[in-house]
Amino acid sequence: MTYKRKKYHHGDTHLKKRWRVRNRKKDLDQIDVDLKEENAEKLLNQNVDLDLPGAAQHYCLHCARYFIDEQALNEHFKTKVHKRRLKALELEPYSIEESERAAGLGSFKLPTKRKIVSQNSNKSDIVDRDGDIVLEEESPNKKKKPDENAT
Amino acid sequence: MRIETCYFCSSRIYPGHGIQFVRNDCKIFRFCRSKCHAAFKKKKNPRKTKWTKAYRKTAGKELAIDPSFEFEKRRHIPVKYSRELWNKTIEAMKKVEEIRQRRSNNYIMQRLRKGREVEWQRDVREVQRDISLIRSPAAGLKQRQAEEDNTMEVEPETIEVVDSKGRKQIIEAPVMVPAVGEMIEDGGDVEL
Repeated sequence: MTYKRKKYHHGDTHLKKRWRVRNRKKDLDQIDVDLKEENAEKLLNQNVDLDLPGAAQHYCLHCARYFIDEQALNEHFKTKVHKRRLKALELEPYSIEESERAAGLGSFKLPTKRKIVSQNSNKSDIVDRDGDIVLEEESPNKKKKPDENAT
Repeated sequence: MRIETCYFCSSRIYPGHGIQFVRNDCKIFRFCRSKCHAAFKKKKNPRKTKWTKAYRKTAGKELAIDPSFEFEKRRHIPVKYSRELWNKTIEAMKKVEEIRQRRSNNYIMQRLRKGREVEWQRDVREVQRDISLIRSPAAGLKQRQAEEDNTMEVEPETIEVVDSKGRKQIIEAPVMVPAVGEMIEDGGDVEL
């Protein structure tokens, strides 16, 4: 290996960092708990936390991710990653209890299927509407301004 | 002392074996060996990994739902020792295990039997479809044609005609084969 090549090689630290336990993302069964209404409400209406992206105001429940603004969140809902996650959550997630049932501790239960929809279509609709109302209040002003400029 | 079950493959974990991971919500994930631990770290789904018990049961490969599974329970309350109870329990465990073994073996045999039936049907279908590869459909064609010629002597069609005077006559119907040119001429009579 030439000297220069050696200088540019930094090993696999960047890979190792990704697999560190502190960088672990939420598992599917944790997200499943989050999807319960009382938890979902809390997560969707979090207090302002300046350490988190977008001050924790734009959160995707299913992917357990923070986004910087409403637009980024809505863009995210259209992505493959998000859609795949919805699909993965359709079946009841695997749990420790299920592993025990598979081992013969009680009869095995087949996982039930359910329908999972992006949060914006039902839950955060209200939030959206609130946002819309605010926007509507602002938008007439915005519309008026160019009109005034034009006239 | 307890024999735990592996989170990934649902096998038994004897004391001193395997590794466990405690998630930050206090859930304990136990693994029987590094294979299962590595699969968990890669976020593999045990239901879709073919070598796990969870896969075999969801896919219907093994007996999954049966009352004989209901005997094994997690009992957190210790029972006061009595020799008689211990003896009886051991006897019952043996009996239950025997029954369960028999039922699960029976389940697998039933499943395989069905497979054999399907296989047989598939074979029959294949022979019917591909028989021409072994025996040409043209084999013995001339013989068959000759036989047909012998049996199917074309008899001219006859028509009964009743005259205006009431006499019956039998006339041989002439075989009319319209020529192609005539047909076109007939059709082309339209004047514009």
